[in-house]
Amino acid sequence: MPEGASLGDPKLKAESARKAFEQEFERFARFRAGVSAESGLTLNSAEALERELSELRTRHTGKKSELASVKKLIGRVAPEERASFGQLVQQIEAEITRGVEEAEAALLAFINDARRERERIDVTLPGRRPRRGHIHPVTLVRERIEDIFVSLGYIVEDDREIETDFYNFTALNIPENHPARDPLDTFYTTTGLALRSQTSTVQIHAMQRRGVPVRMIAPGRVFRRDTPDATHNPMFFQVEGLCVDRGITMAHLKGTITEFVHRMFGPETRTRFRPSYFPFTEPSAEVDYSCFKCGGRGCRICKGSGWIELGGSGMVHPNVLSAVGVDAEEFTGFAFGLGIDRMCGLMYSLDDIRLLFENDVRFLEQFN
Amino acid sequence: MNISYNWLRELTGVGLKPRALAERLTMLGLAVDGVHERGDDFLLEIDLTSNRPDCLSHLGVAREVAVEHGGALRMPAAVPSKMEGRAGDFTAVEIEDEDLCPRYAGRVVRGVQIGPSPEWLVKRLEVIGQRAINNVADITNYVMHEMGQPLHAFDLQKLSEHRIVVRRARSGERLRTLDGVDRELQTQMLVIADASRAVALAGIMGGEETEISNETRDVLIESAYFDPSSVRRTARALGLHTEASYRFERGTDYEGVLRAQERAVALICELAGGAATEDAIDVYPRKIEPQRVSLRPSRVEALTGLRVETSEMRRILSALGFIERAQPQTFEPEPSLRDGVLEMMPAGLHTTLSFTSPTWRVDIEREEDLVEEVARHAGYDGIAALLPPTASAGEYQPREIKKRALRRQLTAFGYDEAINFSFIESTSGERLDPIPKFATLIDADAEEDERAFVTLTNPIIEGMTRMRPTLLQGLLQSVRRNFNHGTRNVRLFETGIVFAARKGEGELPFEREALALVATGGAVEEGRAGDARELDFYDLKGAVEAAVDAMGLPALSFAPVSARHLRVGQAAVIMTGGQTEIGTIGRLSEEISAEFKFRQPVYVAELDLAALLEQKETPALYTPLSRFPSVVRDLSLLTNRRTSLSEMLAAIRELELENLSSAQLVDVYEGANLPEGKRSVTLRLEYRAEDRTLRDEEADEMHTRVVQKLAEKFGAEQRV
Ligand SMILES: [Zn+2]
Repeated sequence: MPEGASLGDPKLKAESARKAFEQEFERFARFRAGVSAESGLTLNSAEALERELSELRTRHTGKKSELASVKKLIGRVAPEERASFGQLVQQIEAEITRGVEEAEAALLAFINDARRERERIDVTLPGRRPRRGHIHPVTLVRERIEDIFVSLGYIVEDDREIETDFYNFTALNIPENHPARDPLDTFYTTTGLALRSQTSTVQIHAMQRRGVPVRMIAPGRVFRRDTPDATHNPMFFQVEGLCVDRGITMAHLKGTITEFVHRMFGPETRTRFRPSYFPFTEPSAEVDYSCFKCGGRGCRICKGSGWIELGGSGMVHPNVLSAVGVDAEEFTGFAFGLGIDRMCGLMYSLDDIRLLFENDVRFLEQFN
Repeated sequence: MNISYNWLRELTGVGLKPRALAERLTMLGLAVDGVHERGDDFLLEIDLTSNRPDCLSHLGVAREVAVEHGGALRMPAAVPSKMEGRAGDFTAVEIEDEDLCPRYAGRVVRGVQIGPSPEWLVKRLEVIGQRAINNVADITNYVMHEMGQPLHAFDLQKLSEHRIVVRRARSGERLRTLDGVDRELQTQMLVIADASRAVALAGIMGGEETEISNETRDVLIESAYFDPSSVRRTARALGLHTEASYRFERGTDYEGVLRAQERAVALICELAGGAATEDAIDVYPRKIEPQRVSLRPSRVEALTGLRVETSEMRRILSALGFIERAQPQTFEPEPSLRDGVLEMMPAGLHTTLSFTSPTWRVDIEREEDLVEEVARHAGYDGIAALLPPTASAGEYQPREIKKRALRRQLTAFGYDEAINFSFIESTSGERLDPIPKFATLIDADAEEDERAFVTLTNPIIEGMTRMRPTLLQGLLQSVRRNFNHGTRNVRLFETGIVFAARKGEGELPFEREALALVATGGAVEEGRAGDARELDFYDLKGAVEAAVDAMGLPALSFAPVSARHLRVGQAAVIMTGGQTEIGTIGRLSEEISAEFKFRQPVYVAELDLAALLEQKETPALYTPLSRFPSVVRDLSLLTNRRTSLSEMLAAIRELELENLSSAQLVDVYEGANLPEGKRSVTLRLEYRAEDRTLRDEEADEMHTRVVQKLAEKFGAEQRV
């Protein structure tokens, strides 16, 4: 004990309060520099320690603490000692606060880390969402065709799937004995009606409805008695096009198809028109476009020729125009018929077009 | 059509390489599908269009190739080396049915020696895929491939009375054809007969009894022109299609009959020996007039956009065998008014060229055909590519925009778009209730033949004769197929035409666009974060509602219903405008599930899409947002399970509470702790005045009336 033991009583008390704190704080002191991985603490034990630590602080610095009662003894200290006594008390209080705060900060850091670890998620799990469905590839191609022709000023038309002889054949200049009328090729109902074998039927309906001039396309289902195999279906989709006006020539047919092909398959695609035969057009032309896979050098898709058949076309036959009361001297027009499934099959490299109508989800899922 | 490159070159003298020749032919409209090396020759496979039977021969193809060089062909020699006697000394020809046989020529070669053909002939036939038989048979085959005229050789000595009668078959008459099949003939079939019996099917196949054999000494060479449709009918009726019938039914050259016969007879004399008769018996009672057709040169440009000199048009047509009939006729051009401007045709264009069509060109009928001839040979490549002058604005189908919204919304809800065939099996789909529009037509309880199914006479897939009255049959089969492949989560939708017959004779069937959905399996995509849950009725209903919403159409209403294909208690009728029934939705019945071997719940819906789309779009109209707060009261009720939410909401609406701004479902609870047959329904009622803040007491007063009403009407007890 230093000198002035008479005054030493409050000082001793202060020292004893410091000692009491140091004793209790001893087990926390090791955390002051930070909680190490080897500390063996868990989130729960750290939280408990943190609670105890805050209680410890209250006990040693709170209103009812020993230190608080020591402060009140200042009146008993000799005036000349008061300054140093005051300093001592402040110093003890600062020590306690610093020790507790350092340990507390370290514990909290540990606790926060541990909590975040506990709430860590696997960010690589697939996101939660409803399954997305898919539009049928035939529809995707059809929509694209419609978009292109609508932007070129065409009206989209459709009509019946079961047709009379007149619309399916006669008006299209398909003569009585033409093989297309044969029940080997065309489906008939028990009442003698035909399942339309080409969407050209819509040409007739459209000209009857709208008169001429007219520009229209008609995408739709058609039926032909083909046994299903990798390249045939008894039902498929076709788009018919018709443009009738004054002064329309094959040059307009060529320009229109070329424009369509550029937009559909890319501007580098070339087209080829070669003479062909269809009852409803004269002159007629088969349209080929340069293979999009090989660019025309020849590959499996184009069977080595560099060209892929797009469909039939030609100048509307005068008999077709007169079937709907249009003067073939005043008006000329072109028409074309393109296979949608066929385009679809080629664009997506389908090896078996029967898949188009089997609705296997594993197949449908592949299209966007 | 198979063409030998060497053979073609002999006829034309054109020295193009095989691939270049193939390219030229393709661009002339004779599409070459393949070029194959065959020894020192090449085989060209030509995919001919049905209008060009004249090109079913080397000569025909050669004509096309030669146009560029003026059409000159090196015709093979056709003078028999030895001739004696007149044909009439050895045979006779009579045509009884000249409607089916306008021309028949017979010529005899006597003293032939039947044996193998020389190597050059065998090889030439082999290149084009023909099998050699004996010299005489090979020669008839060779000449057919050379000139396009089918020929037949009879053993003259086996013909009863050595004569030919061309007539319709007699009732019950039989003929054993060269393929060894004994055939019963029908009386509309044309036959070649001798004095006593049929010896050949005219234009199709010879008979076995009069066939050339090694012992044959005298042959009768038939060259004829048969009515194309008669040959087609007979060939089809007998299912007997030959190289000869293929040509006759498309149309042969009636003026080429003698030329081909002479060529064959000359070859027989050369290769099989013997002496030909000096002439043929040529029965040709009524000369067929060749087609006359005229061309205004201006039409070429008007139709094709090609500028071709009139002299060039003449050159092309003449090289193709068209004979110009007279000097061009000049006509006074009618001035035409176009866009109000008087247009005169340039001088020299107002002429008409008139031609006699070559007799081998059965396809030429009118001016446009000549335009095509000119354009083909001037070259389609020379046609410019122009867009037509702008005219009207484009337009989608009126309902397409809505249907696109429908497709996008349903795919967002996990539905894949399906497309099924329009025909289904003849006995299927009967127990699936159709859309209401068809309900009376296709009444499942009616007798089979009373029901208005549309039926095909000639299906291509066995049994698939019924035009679908419902889309569900196809979709359920698609579900089955997916299950078979191990896919258990399936959501599909389809839009398409469904069919029902009209009762009236000759009336067109009903065609109605429908929308159908099918859903089964998990509600959440597998393999993702989140809890698994099975799809239920409300998932499907939600998809339908969302689709209708996406189309901007008024909300649908639903009411319990009993439908043949839906499970009792989980079936609803779908209505527009609160009353017009347009479809059904629900869980597939146990019976139909069993039929398809489904072992998990399957939910289906089918709607009359046409009726749905006929509705007016709900206009988007702004309603001012209320400036005053509302009072919200939740109300939990213990009710009978059979009391539907819509009944309860309707009862609340009946009160016509002015300040009840909304009443909606919060929760439905059914659990073991509730009394049997009861459920707990929690509703949220929102009270609001437009012009002031509602006082609590006012809300309480209205709320009490709601509680009382529900208690009175349904015995609903308020739970606390
Ligand atoms: Zn290619």
